[in-house]
Amino acid sequence: MIKIRDLYYSVENLTLFENADLEIPTGKLTIVAGPNGAGKTTMLKLISGIVKPQKGEIISEAKELFYLPQRIKYPQGITLTEYIESYFYKNNWTWFLSKQEKNKINDAISLMELSDKKDVLIDNLSSGELQKANIALGIVSDADLILLDEPTANMDLVNRIKVLEFIKKLTQKGISIVAILHDINLSVAYGDWFLGFTKNHKIISDEKEKFFTAENLKEIFGIDFKVIKDNEDIHIQVLN
Amino acid sequence: MIKNKKLIIITILFIIMLLSLYLAIYAGYKDLGLNLLKKAFNIGNDPDSLILNLLRYPRAFKALVAGSCLALAGMFMQAVSKNPLAEPYITGISSGAGLGIVLSVLLFNSVNYSLFGFFGALISSALVIIFAGFSRFSITKLILIGLSVNIFFSSLISLIILVNPLKSYTMMLILSGGITTNEVISDKILLLMFIIGLILSGIFIPKLNYLRLDSELLESNKGRKYLYTVAVIIAAAFLTSLSVFSAGILGFIGIIAPQISRMLFGQDYRWLFVSNILLGSSLILFSDYIARTVIFPLQIPLGLVVAFIGAPVFVYFLTRKGDMFRD
Repeated sequence: MIKIRDLYYSVENLTLFENADLEIPTGKLTIVAGPNGAGKTTMLKLISGIVKPQKGEIISEAKELFYLPQRIKYPQGITLTEYIESYFYKNNWTWFLSKQEKNKINDAISLMELSDKKDVLIDNLSSGELQKANIALGIVSDADLILLDEPTANMDLVNRIKVLEFIKKLTQKGISIVAILHDINLSVAYGDWFLGFTKNHKIISDEKEKFFTAENLKEIFGIDFKVIKDNEDIHIQVLN
Repeated sequence: MIKNKKLIIITILFIIMLLSLYLAIYAGYKDLGLNLLKKAFNIGNDPDSLILNLLRYPRAFKALVAGSCLALAGMFMQAVSKNPLAEPYITGISSGAGLGIVLSVLLFNSVNYSLFGFFGALISSALVIIFAGFSRFSITKLILIGLSVNIFFSSLISLIILVNPLKSYTMMLILSGGITTNEVISDKILLLMFIIGLILSGIFIPKLNYLRLDSELLESNKGRKYLYTVAVIIAAAFLTSLSVFSAGILGFIGIIAPQISRMLFGQDYRWLFVSNILLGSSLILFSDYIARTVIFPLQIPLGLVVAFIGAPVFVYFLTRKGDMFRD
């Protein structure tokens, strides 16, 4: 569980968060939604400790954290496998990885269905494939808290679904995942817990049923939605 | 498949290094020839053996130390700053060394100026690292502070040279770089320090393979990131100081050897470690051979030869493989 108490954070003259209180459950997929500039990325950076709150506190139980930024600069001239290997040198003082570590990398690559690309230079991978490679990096990181900033933005629809299915499976192992997503229907389909950042810098935080109401969505995005609830299913349409 | 290709390139680089070593030791105005290979390890009193033992071996050894240390130091700086222009000399280390050298000539008429250069380099790099650590350490800040220290010390050097016309020629000559003889610290101690430098570098090679990941991605593990970065920079400062001790001030090697290596091997620092040692030492060994033979009996300052050879070679590589430097 991550607890955020009385958080205040401002950039220049713009107050992003004021008296913000919220909780993020352990072992669940938490989806962060909201318009551009509402402070979604800043919130991930606050949780990851990259930026410090100006007031208030963030209490996290996570032992190991993996943060995937939105824009990534890749090293050059190394293969996909070598890219994933990089993470193991964080703790390793040896020049070569053990058989176990190599197996772990291979497993992560095949989970992301990139096995046929594992010896391809990352310079030659597509942006969707690179994003999948970064998810593989998150898998091998052994983190119990994974923060993803628009992890599927460059993927095709099929890959988005596959990756979200996979991320969902990770939460069953007790890993907490917080992801910023812009695809509202995929969010509904896979999210367990939701954070909505409004234009007025208010945060709405709730479980699926209570989060997806026409009023909440109007407050977050500023436009009208039609929310159709059909037993367990929730369908969302934009109204013109 | 890629691995085999890299092995072939490393082998070629190794052969180039051996050829340069051969030229540096066995070729010269008094051409000593291949037959001396047999005599090489028998210390005799004949003039040929003396030339080898007293002049050629120590000189080749120092060229090798200077070349590999500079190339590795450049690789370290570029790896942690993620900036291909970062090199040990831009960051104030060279001017610290230069100031030490100039002061030693000015105050003591010293022939052992390389020792002063060594300490000058150590002191200025310590200064830069400490300043960069104020409030919050950042590598970009370090480079900018290095640049400022560099311009400050360089101006001081120019001033000292200008107001001491009698000694200015000696000073200019030394500052252009060249391999020196030094009686204060023996070659054995230099060898020891070189080995320490190599081991130190080797220890941090896996960490460079970690630091090659996106810097924001590494940010959530700040503690580790800064620890490794500072350790790597200290190693770079030590290596640069060693190179100053061996061959005075030689710019440029710290950029071209690491960047050519990167074009050949990509950012796997295990390969780059070996490649930089081979490329850096070949370049200095060969340049030193040219420096002392081409207009014998005059010696061209080594630093100038390195520039004359290094610049065209670097531009050649950039035209062939420069695509990897995208904006």
